[in-house]
Amino acid sequence: MIPRYQKILFSILLTGILLMGTILFYEHKRAEDRLAAAHDATPIAAPADASTETIPLDLANDADGSITAVERQLALPEEPSVRARALLERLLAEYALPKSAHPLASGAAVDDVFLLKLPISSPTPQAATGATKAAASESRSASESGRPGHSHGELAVINLRGSFVDKHPSGVTVETLTLDSILGTLHANFPEITQVRFLVDGQPHDTLAGHIDLTRVYPVGDTTRSAQGTPTPDQTSAPTNAAGDPQ
Amino acid sequence: MPLPSKPILIPIPHLRSPRRLLAVAALAATLGAGAQTIPPAQPPQAPQAPQPPQAQQTPPTGFNRNLIVLDPAHGGPNIGTQISDHLLEKDVTLAMAVRLRALLAARGFTVVLTRGNDTALSTDQRAELANRTHAVACLVLHATASGTGVHIDTALPAAAPTTPGAPLRWDDAQAAYLTQSQRLADQIGAAMNRSQVPLVSGHAALRPLDNLMCPAVSIELAPLALDGSDPIPVTNPSYQQHVDAAIAGALIFWRNQAQPPAIPAPHTTAPTTPTTAGGPQ
Repeated sequence: MIPRYQKILFSILLTGILLMGTILFYEHKRAEDRLAAAHDATPIAAPADASTETIPLDLANDADGSITAVERQLALPEEPSVRARALLERLLAEYALPKSAHPLASGAAVDDVFLLKLPISSPTPQAATGATKAAASESRSASESGRPGHSHGELAVINLRGSFVDKHPSGVTVETLTLDSILGTLHANFPEITQVRFLVDGQPHDTLAGHIDLTRVYPVGDTTRSAQGTPTPDQTSAPTNAAGDPQ
Repeated sequence: MPLPSKPILIPIPHLRSPRRLLAVAALAATLGAGAQTIPPAQPPQAPQAPQPPQAQQTPPTGFNRNLIVLDPAHGGPNIGTQISDHLLEKDVTLAMAVRLRALLAARGFTVVLTRGNDTALSTDQRAELANRTHAVACLVLHATASGTGVHIDTALPAAAPTTPGAPLRWDDAQAAYLTQSQRLADQIGAAMNRSQVPLVSGHAALRPLDNLMCPAVSIELAPLALDGSDPIPVTNPSYQQHVDAAIAGALIFWRNQAQPPAIPAPHTTAPTTPTTAGGPQ
């Protein structure tokens, strides 16, 4: 027979254990959230003079190779090229979040986005900058050779930062997912953009991180795909390869 | 070498009549088979400036169904992915290729490796080497620390030439073989599913995949992440063996299923700016 005082003591001890366990779990959760917030590179403050709007982003997942369209409430500038740059920065900042399914290093990724009307007329040699000269020659050669692609709409020249490219994970699939995510997000938000060309620090660059070709002109289309890499029916992905053209 | 139009008469004095007939028939069959593989004489072309490697001027009349080309990506100063502190992608791909070569040789295949040691080759050199073989399959091997399982990619869709004599760009050499490449990727993907290896498949803008004139896929080995356990690294021998065995099994089926594409004779244009050895792989 257990004495009554022992039963009371046991109950008190059990209650204390449960209480301490609950406090410990709660504090652990708070510390975890605090650490996660410290590594969160998402821009905190939105532009004060712009109203938020629903923006579709195509987010990649390394585990199953899928790209899923999600919506975010963002405040973006009105000017198209600045808007495109801010959009891509926001997209790539998503991948810097601690629980990202396609983890990339945090930090600024896009230097500039230039939007050029197609077809591009050749500028005079003196006035042509490196980027516009390369884009013009590639656009011209694509239309002359009758290859698939669009000679209408706009060409977006995305100038990536070297620091982003240097820190990008290397691999065929992980690099493809980054590019497809960028192309799909641009397609969803800028239907007038039909082609994309990438530069790194203002110069043509062979690959993103050792694998995927950055020298070609990519057509823009829906790049969402389900797990196992099955493309959606309306996916368009025929590139206009411009590697053989003078740059 | 043009074949003579008249039959060749070779005296075989020491054989009796039935054996003699057999020998003549065998010789005729040999010469006949040779006639299928020898391309017709090309008309003389105007002299051109020296160009980087070109693809063949006529399409292959058929695959060598016992020949597989393995391309272990990277090599030399081009290390590829830094998989861990002491592990480079170029070493993993080479080890994987050597293991796969042994498995395929045991199944009766002849295997050509684009590199058998730590040498640097440009993507154009790899494609040129592969295009000379008329292989039934060309596998470009990669490894990564990102994702899970096996990633299988084919080249991005491009326009295939539809009219005889239409120029074929070096970067579109794969276009005519893309359907076959997709079937090969499906075959290998099915083998991975049967082997319970997670699979991610798709298209990639990857050299030398675009330049290969054979059914070609890129196979990228990633760590194997199973639920509730630590990921198995790409260097795990049993994991590699498991994947390689699945690939070899798929290629046995593929050997009899591959169909040469019906394409018009292209005039291949070579790239004006060849990729350097340290370039994309």
